[in-house]
Amino acid sequence: MKEFDGKTCRLIDADIHEKVTYADLLPYLGQPWKRYIADANWVQEKHMPYTQPAVAGVNRADAMLPDGRDAGSDLPFMREQLLDACGHDIGILTGALDPSPSSMHGWYEMAATLATAYNDWQIEHWLEKEERLYGSIHIAAQDPKTAVEEIERIGGHPKMLQVLLPIDDIAWGDPMYHPIYEAAEKHDLVIGMHHNEPPVQFGKWPRYFIEWHALIPTSHMIQVTNMILNGVFEKYPKLKVMMIEGGFTYVPFLMKKLDQQYKDLRHEVPWVTKMPSETIKNHFCFTTQPLEEMTKREWNNLVEQMGTDDIIVFSTDYPHWDYDSPEQALPNGLSEEVRHKIMVENALRFYPKLKRRDM
Amino acid sequence: MEEKVCTMQDLGPGDMIERTFSGKSIIICRSDQGIYAFLNRCPHQGALLSKGKIGGSPAATKNPGEYCFQREGEILRCPWHGREFDITDGGNTLTPDRSKLKEFMIKIEGEDVIVSTERKKSKAAQA
Ligand code: FES
Repeated sequence: MKEFDGKTCRLIDADIHEKVTYADLLPYLGQPWKRYIADANWVQEKHMPYTQPAVAGVNRADAMLPDGRDAGSDLPFMREQLLDACGHDIGILTGALDPSPSSMHGWYEMAATLATAYNDWQIEHWLEKEERLYGSIHIAAQDPKTAVEEIERIGGHPKMLQVLLPIDDIAWGDPMYHPIYEAAEKHDLVIGMHHNEPPVQFGKWPRYFIEWHALIPTSHMIQVTNMILNGVFEKYPKLKVMMIEGGFTYVPFLMKKLDQQYKDLRHEVPWVTKMPSETIKNHFCFTTQPLEEMTKREWNNLVEQMGTDDIIVFSTDYPHWDYDSPEQALPNGLSEEVRHKIMVENALRFYPKLKRRDM
Repeated sequence: MEEKVCTMQDLGPGDMIERTFSGKSIIICRSDQGIYAFLNRCPHQGALLSKGKIGGSPAATKNPGEYCFQREGEILRCPWHGREFDITDGGNTLTPDRSKLKEFMIKIEGEDVIVSTERKKSKAAQA
C-alpha cells in the first residue's frame, strides 16, 4: 500500500463528487435490476424542489464538459481542472448523490444492488485509473444485513477509506445501524456522513434553497448528537466519523451545549460515560467546506473554543457550485503550520488506511 | 498604458469576451448602455469570470414572494458561487457587502475598444 510523507504532501481533499449515469451502471447490474433501468427508465425518486442555486444549477459553470456532459463525469477533465491544477496528493470521492442508495425510501433490494454496482464502477473507472483518488463504499443502510455484506465484500480494498452514509430521516445512533459500525471498525473504515436531502425542516423542504443550504449544519448536528447520546462510541471505541460538507463552525457551540446538557441529564443516558466534547475530539472530524468567509482572528476564536484544530479537514466539494478553492478559502494569515494541518496532517492521521511514511 | 483589445463588432449587448491586457486576463462586457472591462478574476475566491454568465436579476422588492426580473444584459454572475456583479456600476455586487470587481478604463475610438491601466473608481468610492 502506498505510504505518504506528511511533510511533502500538500493537499488532501476530503470531498470530491464523481458523477455517474444510470447507463454507466448497467454493466454492473444483473437481472431483473438491469431491465428496470434499461427498459423502464427507472431512476431513484427525487425530492429537491430547487436545483438552481448557481449559474449552471448545482455545479460550477466551468466544470461542465465542453461536449455538454455533466460536471464530474470525466476523469481526464477532473485531472486537469482539479487534481493537477490544485496540486492534489489525495482526493476522496464521495459519490454522485444520484443514485444515493441509502437515501431510497423504499425498495431496499434495488438500493442494495445499486450500491454494489456503484462500488464496482467506482473502483474500475476512478480508483484503478487515478492513483491520487480514493473511494467511499456505498451501502443500502436501510437494510443493515446487506450493508454489512457489502462492507465485507469490498471493505478490504486498499483505496476504499470510508463507508458513506447520506444523512436522511433516521438518525445514525439508532441500534439498527450498529452492525454497520462494527463492520466498518473491523475493516479500518471511517464512517463518512454526507447529507443528500437532509430533513432540515421537520423532514420536509424549507421554502427556499438558501434556507436549506444555510441550515445544513443543523442536520449534521442532529447526527453527531444522536450518535454520541446513543452510546455508539462507548460500544465502538475505534470508530471514526468524518462529517462532510457541513463545515465546522457549529462544532464549538455543539461541544459546549452537549457538555452542559450531559452534566444535567446524564441519568437519562447512563451508557454515555465520556464528556461529549471529548468524544467529538476523539471520534469526529469535520470538513471545512462550505467555509464561511472569516478573518484569522475569527478562525482562531473558533479553534480556541473547540480546544483543538486537529479535527478540521480541508475539502473542496468539486465540482459543485459551492466549491471551496484550496488557495482562497481559508482565512488570510494562517500560519503554514496550521494550513498544513488542515490541508494534510489531520486527514492523514484520521483515515486509518492512509499510511504515513514518517510516523 | 493603452491597448486595443477588440472592436465593437466583436461583441453585442449582453455578451462577454476574454482578452489579455498588460499580461493580465480581462473580460470585456457589453450592455445596452455601454462597454466595460474588468479583471477576469472574482474577488470572492478567484474564479474566472469569463466562465460565468451575463443576464438580469430580480429587483430588490418590499414584497416577499415577488419576482421582478430586470436589467437583462447588465448583471454578471460568477461561475462558481453565483455572486452577482453590476457591470454598469463599476462591478459592485447586488448585496450591500461592498465587494466589487476590478475595473479598467475603457474608451472607444471609431470601432476600436481601448483599455487603459487606470482603474475607474466605483460610484460608491466616488461618493
Ligand atoms: S469565486 Fe466568484 S462568487 Fe465565489
